[in-house]
Amino acid sequence: MTGFVTLEMRRSLRDVRYLVIAVALPIGLYLLFAGLFGSHGQRAQGLPQSVELMVAMIAYGAMWAVFSATGPRIAHERAIGWTRQLRVTPLTPASALAGKLGTALAVALPAMLLVCLTAVLSHHVALSAAQWLTLLTVMWAGVLPLALLGLAIGYLVTEEIAFPLLMALYFAFGSLGGLWMPLSAMPRAMQDIGRALPSNGLAELGWRIVGGQASVSTAVLVLAAWLLGSALAAWLAYRRRARMATS
Amino acid sequence: MIYCSQAISLTYRLGLLDPDQGQVQVYGRPAAHAVAAGLVGAMLQDAGLMPGVRVGELLAMVRSLYPRPLPLDDLVGVADLGSLLRRRVDRLSGGQAQRVRFAAAIAGDPQLLVLDEPTAAMDVQARRNFWQQIRAFAGRGRTVLFATHYLHEADDAADRVVVIAAGRKIADGSPSAIKASFGDRQVRFTVDPGSPVSLAALAGVRAVEQRGTRVTLHSSDPDATVTSLVGSGLQWSDLEVGGLDLEASFLQLLGGQS
Repeated sequence: MTGFVTLEMRRSLRDVRYLVIAVALPIGLYLLFAGLFGSHGQRAQGLPQSVELMVAMIAYGAMWAVFSATGPRIAHERAIGWTRQLRVTPLTPASALAGKLGTALAVALPAMLLVCLTAVLSHHVALSAAQWLTLLTVMWAGVLPLALLGLAIGYLVTEEIAFPLLMALYFAFGSLGGLWMPLSAMPRAMQDIGRALPSNGLAELGWRIVGGQASVSTAVLVLAAWLLGSALAAWLAYRRRARMATS
Repeated sequence: MIYCSQAISLTYRLGLLDPDQGQVQVYGRPAAHAVAAGLVGAMLQDAGLMPGVRVGELLAMVRSLYPRPLPLDDLVGVADLGSLLRRRVDRLSGGQAQRVRFAAAIAGDPQLLVLDEPTAAMDVQARRNFWQQIRAFAGRGRTVLFATHYLHEADDAADRVVVIAAGRKIADGSPSAIKASFGDRQVRFTVDPGSPVSLAALAGVRAVEQRGTRVTLHSSDPDATVTSLVGSGLQWSDLEVGGLDLEASFLQLLGGQS
């Protein structure tokens, strides 16, 4: 199991799609937006631009990291028969599944940390050690629903569909979820949709933590709902494939 | 020991599918448990390899899944992978990929190695090398069970052959025993077209195949068949007498079924 997860992580970290979209893109967007809007301007959350954007881009990068390590990869491995081959080794299907999930969460971490590093170096973002720790831990845990969603899609759809579908979700969750621009700048109806998305829930958790606000109930509820829904979908999709056995 | 069986039963044997009735036991336990205990290794038809990694990394990972893996050097030697360990899995030729699949299947030093149509995509040379590797593995006291559509492969490689047709076992034994159980021999010769004599009426003949001017008689008594052929007044040439091959035996078996 350790050998399996280690190799999964190593190949994920070498994956060009991961490096470009989950690591380079959020850093680039951070530098672009934070540079454009200035370090001191404030947005709706009452946080400095540089901090608010940092949280948004942590969420954005982590989202693609877990998507890229699950959906397209699982669909591809089903198509080429690697999943089947793995099933005739002592690695149990449940361990393989847990390994995928663990890998997805593990590769989210470098993407998150590098955005923080960029923010500190380029815009001198300064948080207390406790704030950094809480921010990263809570947001890391908050990625779980997205990882499960990627898993479900990997087992549900074919290889050709998995990548574009997750790419579309990534951009939709990013833009509608208020990671590119604040929800408050959008029409009322769009705001309601945005608040129901896991990407917004994830960023909202981060904004509340760095803003020192205690109440995070809505964001937690949204993420919990996505967690349950995604876990259920992933479990059903996985069971269906296991029963078909051929893929 | 090398056995040959039929494809579909292999997926049951490995616990990939649950049978509608009954149960499949391997080494005294359910198939899936035997797989989990590392007693079974398998090369499935069209099974892929983990993308985006090197051959050496892949084999190290697969070995780590088993309680008593083969030493990496043995693996490299048996599957002839010396120069491939640093190669990316996605950049292997068909034959190289098949060798890596073979190495992955025996990485755990399984008691039972299951091969489903293992040589389907191989050229003649690769096929020959492959069966040499399989014999070397079986020579370590391991059992190899394979399914194939190439009956001459079963004839050459297997110690025991089980023939399954329409879901029933119709023969079970060594290739020579199956062939001998018919007692039939083949008498082949070339004959002028339009000969008046009925070939089926010759002594000992049980079946007649004719392609153009080339005739193959299945005979229970080849001596008598040849004697009556000589006395028949037919114009014939290029006489050959020989045993049935496994493929011909198999066709007779199937013919006996219907």
